[in-house]
Amino acid sequence: MKKIFLIVLAMVLVLGMSTTALADISLANLKVEIDVPLKAYAEAYSAANGFNVKVDTFGGGQDYHGMVMAALQSGEMYDIFMIEGIGGYNTWKDSLYDLTGQPFVEATSLAYAPEGKVVGFPIAVEGFGIGYNAEILEKAGIDPATLTTLSAFEEACKKLDGMKEELGITAPIAMAASTSGGMWWVAAQHNFNAYWKGNLAYNDNSIVELALKGEVDKERLTQYAKFLRVMCDYADQDVLLNGNYDAQINLFGTGKAAFIQQGNWTDPNFKDLGATFKRGYIAEVWTDEPTTAIMVAAPSYFVVNANSPHVDEAIKFLNDMALTEAGQNYMVKEAGMVPAFSGVTVEPEGQFSQAVMKAAGSGDAFGWGFAEMPDGFNMDVLGPIFELFAAGQLDIDGFVNMVAEAIATIPTL
Amino acid sequence: MARRRPWVNVLFLAPVVLAFVMVIIVPFVLGIYYSFTDFNGVRTTLTFVGLDNYRNMFRDPVFLHSFLLTLQYTVINIVLVNVVAFLLSLLVTSDTPGRNFLRAGFFVPNLIGGLVLGYIWQFVFNNVLLDLGRSLGIAALSRSLISDSGTVIWAMSFVNTWQYAGYIMMIYVAAIQGIPANLMEAASVDGANYPQRVWKILMPMMASAFTVTLFLTLTNSFKQYDLNVSLTNGGPAALFMGKPSKASQLLAMNIYNTAIASKRWGDGQARAVIFFLVLVLFSLVQVWMSKRKEVEM
Repeated sequence: MKKIFLIVLAMVLVLGMSTTALADISLANLKVEIDVPLKAYAEAYSAANGFNVKVDTFGGGQDYHGMVMAALQSGEMYDIFMIEGIGGYNTWKDSLYDLTGQPFVEATSLAYAPEGKVVGFPIAVEGFGIGYNAEILEKAGIDPATLTTLSAFEEACKKLDGMKEELGITAPIAMAASTSGGMWWVAAQHNFNAYWKGNLAYNDNSIVELALKGEVDKERLTQYAKFLRVMCDYADQDVLLNGNYDAQINLFGTGKAAFIQQGNWTDPNFKDLGATFKRGYIAEVWTDEPTTAIMVAAPSYFVVNANSPHVDEAIKFLNDMALTEAGQNYMVKEAGMVPAFSGVTVEPEGQFSQAVMKAAGSGDAFGWGFAEMPDGFNMDVLGPIFELFAAGQLDIDGFVNMVAEAIATIPTL
Repeated sequence: MARRRPWVNVLFLAPVVLAFVMVIIVPFVLGIYYSFTDFNGVRTTLTFVGLDNYRNMFRDPVFLHSFLLTLQYTVINIVLVNVVAFLLSLLVTSDTPGRNFLRAGFFVPNLIGGLVLGYIWQFVFNNVLLDLGRSLGIAALSRSLISDSGTVIWAMSFVNTWQYAGYIMMIYVAAIQGIPANLMEAASVDGANYPQRVWKILMPMMASAFTVTLFLTLTNSFKQYDLNVSLTNGGPAALFMGKPSKASQLLAMNIYNTAIASKRWGDGQARAVIFFLVLVLFSLVQVWMSKRKEVEM
């Protein structure tokens, strides 16, 4: 009798453990700044559509690629995840579902199709440049519209530096380059983009292609180094060498710096800080060739796991995000992103995002080149060189030589 | 006499042995296999590259720098942790008032996990100490201790000592309490003062504890990762052999960055194999040397 009871109990337990699958899909999110709005949207979407969308967020210092690979190894790969450019594409290309012909593809010119078939849903149009605090500049008597060349920018920084107490700033620029703060990307990717794509036509990848062959344009690189020197010399040294993301945002957001090297993804952070001052972008003015263009691209893409059992639900989720009112409202109003899709009438709230939307629309923009570098190159190889330069341990020639040496190793990576 | 039923033994051992094989043995063997290929973590077809990964590793200045840093850190850490733990253990086994409270108190930092520990101390080093230095005008604190390549390893060791010394102290306390009291009394009657009693009687009697603690601190320091990531994330950039490198990137982090961040699993795996061999060698030598000094009671 006891034996029969035990057998029945065991069977009940086993049967009870088999999930009644509600076609749940899981999503791996890399952008920490949209964690809260994305999860809220996923919850509302799940309630309205009968299948659950579960969002996991890693990023902002945590190793996103490591976590997604861990999920793959454990057999619980995400249905939707994100990649950023050719490095991610080359790693994952065998497992990306073909999204050619989907409704959202018709609504954008930025769908990701490096080898012909569409694999990526552009999450947002992002842009970065040198953000400025209009109120501080006005008090100092500097007109941001005149800051279109390196000399003008350097003059402005000198002036601001001389008026530090009056303006209540600790330094003219909020720039970050520290490894320990996890801010290598600000210097070695975004600021360095002036070398990759500055003052070149949007689709001109000549410098990037040179680097992929292991070569550099020394003159161009030297000019860039002069720009970096100005950025580092007039930056708050604490934030530059020790600071993390929060430190840099707080410095600019509380009015303690007049300029910041960052992108429009910081808008939600400034909203949280209650920073209401008027702000905008000037270009990364690395030469004396005048320019007002900021750097704009759709850098990250949602991709669908080709081996997922729930491909249809995943694709529906993506199409709805681009084409329904709820999805567009989430993208623009809740997450503060600039949409990559036409037919979106909602305008982003953040001032930096508005500037990016304007630049994307008018075409007064440069592309992003750093995403084409091999995985880990920007973080592990370039990052330390920028930190050494920022700390004053390398001079301009030393920097140029070291970067050239580093780039020379790319063909072997 | 009870009947011997060997199959019962096997059955009871099976779950543990299975777990051990699946979690330790299989990945270990697979890892050695991967170290001879160009696996990138995701690709399903592999090409055999022979000893290339091993050769490249020794030509990479960043790897050599990590190795050197790990050795440096290990030596500093072993000395600091054991000296501090030993002194603390003497303190809590003497007649100090409140010694039970002290014993618990010194152990509490050990309960804080690796990542949280690192982030808390990063805040202390980067913000608290800097503000303190600024308001009190102390020049030595004008630059964060973890942003200076000369002091970052010492700072990491300090934090690790803060966390780990309590645990090692407990081992010493247990050993000290196992020494018969009449031995120490006899020595003091014979005219030995406190330092002599400690050096000539206490420490030789504790030799087996030293074997254990030296082994623990050696392996703990060599394998350090979570504190490394959260406190310094590889730390300030520095020049090594004329190439840019990271001044506090220990071996485990270097392996992780090579394999996961740069997606060169073959390379990373080769480094891991060397890491394993070196650590096994060091541990065996250390245990052999310590065992020779143990006294049988």
